[in-house]
Amino acid sequence: MKLGARVVRDRWISLGVFIAIAAIWQVLSVIYTVEAVPGEPMVAGWQVLFTKTFLSMADYWAGGLGVPSVAEGADRSYPAAALSLADHSLQTIIRLASGLVVGGGIGLALGLAVSWSRWTRRLVDLPVQFLRTLPLLAMVPLFQLWFGTNIAGEILFVAYGIGVIVFAGTVNAVRNVPSIYIDNARALGASRLTLYRTVILPAILPEMRSTVLLSLGTGWGAVLGAEYLGAQSGLGYVIVYAQQFAYLDRMFLIALLFIVYTSISYWGVSKLTARMLDWAPPSQRL
Amino acid sequence: MTTVTATVKAAPRRVRPLRLFAYGLAAALDPLRLAGLVVFALIWEGLSSVLSTIILPPPQNVVARLWTDFLDAPSLSYYGVANPNLYANLLYTAENVVIAVAIGAAIGIVAGLVSARFSLVRAIINPVMMTAGTVPILIAAPFLLIWFGVGRLSAVCLVIFYVTVILYLFAQRAASNVSPIYEEFARTLGASQRQIVVDLLIPATVPEILGGLRIALAGAWGLEAVSELLGSQEGMGKVLEVLAGATDSEGIMASLLLLGLVAIIVDAIAGWAVKRLASWNAGLSSERN
Repeated sequence: MKLGARVVRDRWISLGVFIAIAAIWQVLSVIYTVEAVPGEPMVAGWQVLFTKTFLSMADYWAGGLGVPSVAEGADRSYPAAALSLADHSLQTIIRLASGLVVGGGIGLALGLAVSWSRWTRRLVDLPVQFLRTLPLLAMVPLFQLWFGTNIAGEILFVAYGIGVIVFAGTVNAVRNVPSIYIDNARALGASRLTLYRTVILPAILPEMRSTVLLSLGTGWGAVLGAEYLGAQSGLGYVIVYAQQFAYLDRMFLIALLFIVYTSISYWGVSKLTARMLDWAPPSQRL
Repeated sequence: MTTVTATVKAAPRRVRPLRLFAYGLAAALDPLRLAGLVVFALIWEGLSSVLSTIILPPPQNVVARLWTDFLDAPSLSYYGVANPNLYANLLYTAENVVIAVAIGAAIGIVAGLVSARFSLVRAIINPVMMTAGTVPILIAAPFLLIWFGVGRLSAVCLVIFYVTVILYLFAQRAASNVSPIYEEFARTLGASQRQIVVDLLIPATVPEILGGLRIALAGAWGLEAVSELLGSQEGMGKVLEVLAGATDSEGIMASLLLLGLVAIIVDAIAGWAVKRLASWNAGLSSERN
């Protein structure tokens, strides 16, 4: 079988697998009709998810834009539901993006600063290793204690999670730059700063790719963690409230939305970074 | 067949485990790296003298708290933790981690190896694992808590889920990294399918799989603690949840410190064991490069 044909076949199989899972879920919802709370099935079929559950998202709409909210006495409507989902998604994505920028920036800057000499690198080695082993999501209570429930604390939490990974990734990547590159640039009379700008920064890019993808995954987890405790908006907030009333169908809808978002972001970032690394020899692309 | 086994298992152990251990110890006792820890503690100390103790307790208080709470923390019993000490809760968490890693690894490794051999299987399992791998734990946890109830089962299931995905990926990669030359050579010597799996595929993939196991083990501690935080009657996560409710930052930091220390110790042991168990890897990888 030719490689191209195999790729096409694999795509069809993937599609088939997803359809099969969806179908199994539907069958399960018909067979297993136990309800978590009256009126809320443990396994919600697709017909429920896309009508009743989707409509119930209108409950989380705060009003505005000419679409009245449920709190104002209006009935649940599709526009309100759609707007509410869009709004909460946007809140989550803003938190994630700010955290990525802040944490990624600080992590990269500190990582490069520490890599200045072998001495500083050894000095930070153990503390960073320790910070990395601390379970990030278990630190949510600590951040809540420090920053309360305002948005700065949520962003800082995401930034911390991402910063630690980017920092460690940067230090590691600089360490792995072949010393011949550095020696050669030195022999040609490059100063430390020139060396950083023209040799080290480009050389660590291929290795930073996996760090970026890893921090993206951590970021999605961290933003949810931040919203779990105290946020008044965002997808995490919707999930927490749904869980308190055991509204499994709402949780499932948000989970699906989340899978779609994470998949899109992974796909986008890996395409983008692959494109940015076109110049690197294939053996260096991770 | 013995030739192939010998090739794959490449040469006797060159690095003595004891010497390896000595190297590790020397690296850990590097004065500059230890100085890093001291600097870290000093910065913490400095910050804590500026901020209030509720926000950031000084490091010696946290260590002292860890010391006393480890065997006996009566305050925990007021909040309904069954065993009012860190030791028993840590043990509970550790048990769950071990069970989950064992089951998850078994499923993940088998699925990964099989999928690397048969492209049809890979096409079917890959999309499932890839999607499952992107689901954040906080999304998956509430479902398990409602489906399986608050208790050991849901926490263990959650960790199994993640360990399986990680090891699936590692095992698959390990098996596809095995140079086809080995298998071709084995086939010319008349090896059966079973012999190829037992004498070639397994020894050749074990080092990389063990590396994956180590990564999974490191992550499993955090996941277990988080799922206990969301709903459990025991374990370090429950302790953290209780202390968070009491806004006891000293206690929270002591528990986090304990979790971090245990994770580091377990990881060090695992790393050492991996090097020891997979000592033939040195020969294999040098041949490949």
